Amino acid sequence: MLSTEDIQAIWLTIKLASVVTLLLLIIGTPVAWWLARSRTWWKAPVAAVVALPLVLPPSVLGFYLLLAMGPQGPLGKLTQAAGLGSLPFTFWGLVLASVIYSLPFMVQPLLTAFESVGERPLEVAATLRASPLDTFFSVVLPMAWPGFLTAAMLTFAHTVGEFGVVLMIGGNVPGQTRVASVQIYDHVEALEYSEAHTLAAVMLLFSFVVLLALYVWRAQANRGHSHG
Amino acid sequence: MQILKYLLLACTLVFTSVNAAELFTVAIAANLKYVFDDLAAEFKKETGIEVQSIVNASGKIATQVRQGAPFDVFMSADMEFPEGLYKEGYAVTAPKPYAYGVLVLWSQTGADLSKGVAGLANKTVGNVAIANPKLAPFGKQSVKSMEYYKVKAALEPKLVYGESITQVSQFVESKAVDVGFSAKSIVIAPETAGKGKWVAVPEESYEPIAQGIVILKHGIDAHADSARKFYEFVQSEKARAIFAKNGYKLP
Repeated sequence: MLSTEDIQAIWLTIKLASVVTLLLLIIGTPVAWWLARSRTWWKAPVAAVVALPLVLPPSVLGFYLLLAMGPQGPLGKLTQAAGLGSLPFTFWGLVLASVIYSLPFMVQPLLTAFESVGERPLEVAATLRASPLDTFFSVVLPMAWPGFLTAAMLTFAHTVGEFGVVLMIGGNVPGQTRVASVQIYDHVEALEYSEAHTLAAVMLLFSFVVLLALYVWRAQANRGHSHG
Repeated sequence: MQILKYLLLACTLVFTSVNAAELFTVAIAANLKYVFDDLAAEFKKETGIEVQSIVNASGKIATQVRQGAPFDVFMSADMEFPEGLYKEGYAVTAPKPYAYGVLVLWSQTGADLSKGVAGLANKTVGNVAIANPKLAPFGKQSVKSMEYYKVKAALEPKLVYGESITQVSQFVESKAVDVGFSAKSIVIAPETAGKGKWVAVPEESYEPIAQGIVILKHGIDAHADSARKFYEFVQSEKARAIFAKNGYKLP
């Protein structure tokens, strides 16, 4: 059976993934929109930087984040000056790291969705004197929302499955940074295989149900879309 | 179709490279990383035998051995893991202590270490890193030492856990923590010597961290001669001197 620590770890994981998904929707949308619409020469370098977390090994990324966020690091000095204290080994430190690490998982699907909207609807909206913001909310959003769903899903799933980065900057503090993936790892390391199996099974089942629900919902929405 | 072809090609490459020639292999606990180069060099000088080392956490090595990893000798960071392997027939010799780990406090942020473990409870000291006591012998003894000085409860809110003594080093080196419970073998290693300050944790406050060696079943099957010679060598005067020089106590 699940111990109280396991339940605490699961709850923390869900909390972390939800906060990260929400933040990335806010951050990722303008980034993806800019990448889809902009014509400047430095669009390519920005796109490359956004995709970097895909290639960096998580433990490497985690180590440099630890250096940057530590009390002597540039980010750490900034957070301390702002009165936020030091970020490593705290929940918000994990949030910041996960936002960086999951950024491409939010931006890529949104970019694809925005690009598939195409020029024409935007031109039509413009001739009808819609402001850019109005265009975005009344034309782009209704057309691109399956992309938002995919992006949010991938981001959430990716954050739930995160391990290397968390291990590097989390410090395994119960209730703060001991997420389910780390808890499973601890069980395995301590040769507590039955506890590891139980927790892993719960995680698998939860992830499967969430993903299945979303895919079913998406499939139905797409069907409605093609009939409409 | 192209993709399938490439996948097949990749698979064949992977499977053929696994069967590369096998060397005499010693699996070593993470804290031996630095001392082992000296040991291997001395062993080669004496016997002409080349040793390949695999560094990992003791528990992971034990698990890998149970799953058929081709290791010949296992030098653990504790006695329990090799004991378990011996009982289950994966090791052919009873675990024998070859060295004792020495616990130290290590800081690179200029934290005050003059009052030892008891002083860590002081408000001026920030986060303290220890190896996970559930997994690492050094972590277990770090907790023992805190209990001995009756500061465990006071330190609890500041503790962060590395998965091994190696990760504690990373926390200390990145200055993300003020103080870490580390091993003497790590703080006097050439890579880290002179970085920050360290003090030994008084020996009466924790139990000796005995580290055991066993010859594994695979060693007897595949490299019996090398395995026996190496096992003898680790207990020789030459090897003892190398351990002493690298910050270990001797049995």
